[in-house]
Amino acid sequence: MKNIFVLAEHRKEQLRDITWEAVAAGRKLGADLGADLTCLLLAEKVDDMAQSLAGECRKVLAIEDPSFYTLNSEALAKALVSVLKDMGPYMLVMGNSNSVMDLAPGLSVALDATLATDCFGFEVRDGRPMALRQMYSYKVNALVSFKEAERIVVTLRGGAFSFGPSGQGAGTIEKLSSPLGDEKPRKRFVNYVEAEKGDVDIAAADIIVSVGRGIGEEPDISVFESLAESMGGVLACSRPIVDKNLLPKYHQVGTSGVEVKPKVYLALGISGAFQHIGGIKGSPLIAAINKDPRAPIFRVAQYGIVGDLNELVPILENKIKALKKS
Amino acid sequence: MNIIVCIKWTPDTSEADLIVDAAGKDIKKDDLDYDVNDWDRFAVEEAVQIKEKMGGQVTVVTVAPDDAAEMLRESLARGADEAFHLWDEAFEGSDGYAVASILAKFIKGRPHDLILTGTLADDDCGGQVGGMLATMLGIPSSTLVSKIEIQGTNIRFNRELEGGLGEEVEMDLPALVAVATGLNEPRFVSIRAVRKVASVEIPMLDSGEIGLDESRMGPGGSRIQIEQIYLPPEGEGAEIIKGSSEEVAARLAQILKEKGGIG
Repeated sequence: MKNIFVLAEHRKEQLRDITWEAVAAGRKLGADLGADLTCLLLAEKVDDMAQSLAGECRKVLAIEDPSFYTLNSEALAKALVSVLKDMGPYMLVMGNSNSVMDLAPGLSVALDATLATDCFGFEVRDGRPMALRQMYSYKVNALVSFKEAERIVVTLRGGAFSFGPSGQGAGTIEKLSSPLGDEKPRKRFVNYVEAEKGDVDIAAADIIVSVGRGIGEEPDISVFESLAESMGGVLACSRPIVDKNLLPKYHQVGTSGVEVKPKVYLALGISGAFQHIGGIKGSPLIAAINKDPRAPIFRVAQYGIVGDLNELVPILENKIKALKKS
Repeated sequence: MNIIVCIKWTPDTSEADLIVDAAGKDIKKDDLDYDVNDWDRFAVEEAVQIKEKMGGQVTVVTVAPDDAAEMLRESLARGADEAFHLWDEAFEGSDGYAVASILAKFIKGRPHDLILTGTLADDDCGGQVGGMLATMLGIPSSTLVSKIEIQGTNIRFNRELEGGLGEEVEMDLPALVAVATGLNEPRFVSIRAVRKVASVEIPMLDSGEIGLDESRMGPGGSRIQIEQIYLPPEGEGAEIIKGSSEEVAARLAQILKEKGGIG
């Protein structure tokens, strides 16, 4: 392996946190594989962001083009193929963000590279990189290897790689001219769409009771509303509850819903897919009730109960009411 | 409007007890219930809704063993016009790249204005096939899509970004769109609708009939190789509170109170 490339991700002209997680993973891979690390920045205006990246990366390759105002997968794939085609053996590292989910699969085909998505760790065996990822409802870990190992694309689980400034000082910034020609793009960004605001703001809540698929096919939401109320908190949920129209979208916790940081987060019947976990990072207390002892939520919760919600929730509400009186 | 919907036959692992097989490279699947991947169910519904609004033809296709015929027939009952079942023993062990290669070969010779699929499947959690397939076909694609509108030769839609933010995007047709769950409400299928399609023939095509080169399928046509599968240690992380329902509820209430969870 000769080169590790890290794609810098940005939104509204700011670098996103996941970029630094990708830099951290890229650094580690570079050290383990004896490869050089280069940051790739494709943006409408690169100067400020390139400076920040150069503080942590020896080399930054930057390309300016108005088409890179957002991470438009068509524009990015075209440019990345042009930059990477003569680079010898390489590994391209990107965060597994919603924008990169659009980009990575098609790009890997265009680069004739092997792709592993949503990786949470790496191992090197006999000089060959291998990735750790999850399968089967995120309940099983898999160590995977890359058959065509000359060109590898990996995307990273958000929060799996923690970044610390290296303080290595300024790296070089090389600006390349945009390889995008006059060809009319077939995929065009129109505008951002802000989230619908509702009558509760779960992002501001200190106490959250959150419900997921495990509350059953035809649940009585009022049972959980009543529990939340007894705790002085608000009711939130994971994606399947919104998909079934049981609660409005602004109640949804997760990376594509609302990111929350309450003092206490009580997860009921939530298995804990990474999109959900990504929305509760940093909550000081996470407690979970689930009937599946292997539910991934128990890996991020401090306290758990394996059991039946229908039975436990009314009892819990009574205990809470009794504690409030005492 | 010719719409092709690619759907996957997946084991329901969300609440099942999973066991790693003897070779340590997969889980035991014999006792698991299989059904259409949850995300793909929304893709089928969206295709049928677009057809009902604009006219056209909905074709459903899967790369899956025999049992998956049931899911294809259900798609017909939901309003799809035809279904194709792609299977060959040599497809066993295909990764996302190999499945995309098989689908690309099948779709290339057929009219397609719009290809719909789900963004992710719950078994591999990879989210790869849609974008790979689109690039193999040379058409634009997008994932996590909701609120689709066809405008002449364009498709306009919303897609989810993080933190509740979304983006509105437009693509030229033909295009591939991988949908998010929740973009519609998959319809209830009546017994009458199921009866109506009971005798519709669902062609099963093998690699020869698809015209697929052997090097493009199964483990040989795959690029990712699973070295080892393992279950993370149980109870890693959380302290599991044990006892009777009364006891565990009382203990949890106490913990919630101490941590400021009773306001």
